[in-house]
Amino acid sequence: MGSLVLDALGKRYGASTAVERVDLDVGQGEMVALLGPSGCGKTTTLRMVAGFVPPSAGRVLIGGKDVTRTPPHARDTGMVFQSYALFPHMTVAENVAFGLEMRRVSRAERETRVREALRLVRLDALEDRLPRQLSGGQQQRVALARALVVNPAVFLLDEPLSNLDAKLRGEVRMEIRALQQRLGLTTLIVTHDQEEALTMADRLVVMERGRVRQVGTAEDLYERPADPFVAGFVGRCNLIEGRLEAQGQFRASSGALLPCAASPAPPGSCILALRPENVSITAGTDGAGRLKMITYLGPQTEYHLDLAGTPLLAIRQTPSADDPLRRLSPGDAVTISWDASAARLLPAAQPETGV
Amino acid sequence: MAALVLPAGVLVLLLLVAPMLLLFRISLNEFSPTQMMVEATTAANYFRAVQDPYYRQVLVTTLAVATGSTLLTLGLGFPTAYWLARMQGRWKSFATIVVMFPLLVGNVVRAAGWLALLGNGGAINAALLGLGVNAAPLPLLYNTGAVVAGIVAVVLPYMILTLSAVIEGIPRQAEEAASNLGASPLTVFRRVVLPLALPGVIAGSVLVFVLCMNTYASAVLLGGPQFKMMAPAVYDQFVRGNNWPFGAALAFILLGFTLVLTVVGSAVLGRCYRR
Repeated sequence: MGSLVLDALGKRYGASTAVERVDLDVGQGEMVALLGPSGCGKTTTLRMVAGFVPPSAGRVLIGGKDVTRTPPHARDTGMVFQSYALFPHMTVAENVAFGLEMRRVSRAERETRVREALRLVRLDALEDRLPRQLSGGQQQRVALARALVVNPAVFLLDEPLSNLDAKLRGEVRMEIRALQQRLGLTTLIVTHDQEEALTMADRLVVMERGRVRQVGTAEDLYERPADPFVAGFVGRCNLIEGRLEAQGQFRASSGALLPCAASPAPPGSCILALRPENVSITAGTDGAGRLKMITYLGPQTEYHLDLAGTPLLAIRQTPSADDPLRRLSPGDAVTISWDASAARLLPAAQPETGV
Repeated sequence: MAALVLPAGVLVLLLLVAPMLLLFRISLNEFSPTQMMVEATTAANYFRAVQDPYYRQVLVTTLAVATGSTLLTLGLGFPTAYWLARMQGRWKSFATIVVMFPLLVGNVVRAAGWLALLGNGGAINAALLGLGVNAAPLPLLYNTGAVVAGIVAVVLPYMILTLSAVIEGIPRQAEEAASNLGASPLTVFRRVVLPLALPGVIAGSVLVFVLCMNTYASAVLLGGPQFKMMAPAVYDQFVRGNNWPFGAALAFILLGFTLVLTVVGSAVLGRCYRR
C-alpha cells in the first residue's frame, strides 16, 4: 500500500482552468516531481492531494482508497510546506510530536519516536528550542521530521528548498533523497527548479499552464523531450523554427538548410531541438558560421554563434591553452557542425489555447 | 527622538494627570449638605462606597454586566474577526468598513435606535401584537438584557478589529500543517489559532472591558431608572447630589477595579497559554 494515483484530476476557478487533467500513478517508494514554471498548476495539484483544494474533476487515490472527498486531517499525507509552517508557539519537540498526539500515540512512544525523528534529521540537541531560535535550514529539517514521524502513506513536498541558500540547498537535496529512499516513502515533490527535480526524483511530470506536457525519467525528458516546451524547460536547448523539407533536411526560417535526425514526421513546419553541448565548432571557415560572443565559465565555455542568420548556442568543455579555439574572438568565422542524430524534430508549438 | 513624545506628553499631563490628581484630592474631602465640600483628609467616602449595600450592588452590577458583555463580545467577535482576517481581495476593505460602521453612530443615537426597536411601542412589539402572537407587549426594554445588547453593539467593532489584526498575522499554512497532521478543525482552532491569537484576545478583551465598565449612555437609556451602573452613579453624585467628594471616591473605585481586573485578567490568561 502507499501508492498514489491521480485520476483525471482537474481544478477550475470559475472560467479559468488551474489544472487541466492530470493522470499520474506514483508507485510505492517512488519519488515523482511536479516541475514547471510558476502558475503551471503544480502546487494546486499537490494541494488537491493533501485535501486543501477540492478538485472540480477526477479522483485522488491513496493506497488504493478514494480520498477525493476526505478532509485533509483524515488523509494519511505528510506535507512539508514551502514556508515550513512550523507552529511558532511550540518547541521543536512539540512540533514534531503534534502529529503523533493527533494519532493518540502514547506519551512514552511519542517521546521515543520524536527523538528518533530528530536524530534522523540531526537535530536531537535542539528539541527544546522554539522555531524562531533556529536557522532556516534547521527549521526546514524540523518540518521534515514533523512530516516523517507519523509515517505518512504519501509524503508531499512543496518547494521545500526554495527558502534555503544555494549551498545548503545542494546538501538538503541529497539528505531528503537519502531519507526518502531509506524509508521507502511514496513522495510527490513540487518544484520550479529543474536541477532539483532532475537530481531528486525517479520520474518527473513537466507541467505548463495547467497541462501535463510530459511524464518520464530525467533521461527521457532531457534526451527525448516530447515538445519544445519540455526541451526548453529541462536543460538548455537551441529551438529553431522552420520546416522539414525532406527526410533529414530541415530548412530554418532564416533560410539555412540544417541536418537533422530521421523522423517519422511528414514534411511541414516543425521545430529543431539541439542541445548546446552537441554543437561542435572548429576554427576556420566554411562561410556560414560566425562567432558573436564567448562566455568563459571555468570548466565550460559558452559560444554564442550565428549560422547563416540562425542564432545558436554551443557549450563546450573549455579547450586547453594550446587549442586554436582559445584564440578565437567575437566576429571570427567558425565551422559549426553536429551529429544529425542529435538534432531532434519536435512538433511546432501549439497555438495558444485560451486558458 | 524623545522630543517626538513631548506634545502628546504635555497634553496628557495637563488634561489627564492633573485633573485626576485634583479629583483624588477631592475624594479625600468631606461633604456637608449645607457647606457642600469641606476641606479634609479622610477615607470616609471610600468606606461608605464599599459598605453601603446600595453602592455595593451598583458595583456588582457593573462588574457583572462588564464581564458578561466582554465574554459575549469575545464569543461573537472571534468568528467574525477570523472571517475578516482570512478574507482576500477587494471585498476585504468593504467588509472592514461594514464592521466599523457602528462606530460612525454616536452612543445616544444608537441607544435611541434600540428604544425604537425594543420599546413597548417599538418595532418588535408592534410586529408581535400586529401578528397576534402576543396579547400584551413584551418587556424588552429596561432590563439587564437590553443594556448588554446595547453595550455589545457598541464595543463589538473594537473587539473584531483588534482580533482580526492579530489573526491576520497567524500564517494560514500553520493551520494547514496542523490539519495535515491529523487535527480536526476544532483542534486546529484550540491548539494553533487560539494560542497564537491570544495577544489579540487579551488586548481586545481589555479594551472592551474598560469600555463596558464605563458604560453610561446604554445603561441610562436602555436600563431605565432602576438600573444602576457605576458611571451614571458618579454622574448623579456630581450633578444631582452635588456631593463631589463621594462622586470622586466612586470614580476612583471604578478606576481601581477596572485597572486591577484588567491587569490580573490578562496575566492569568497569558499564564494559561504560556509559549
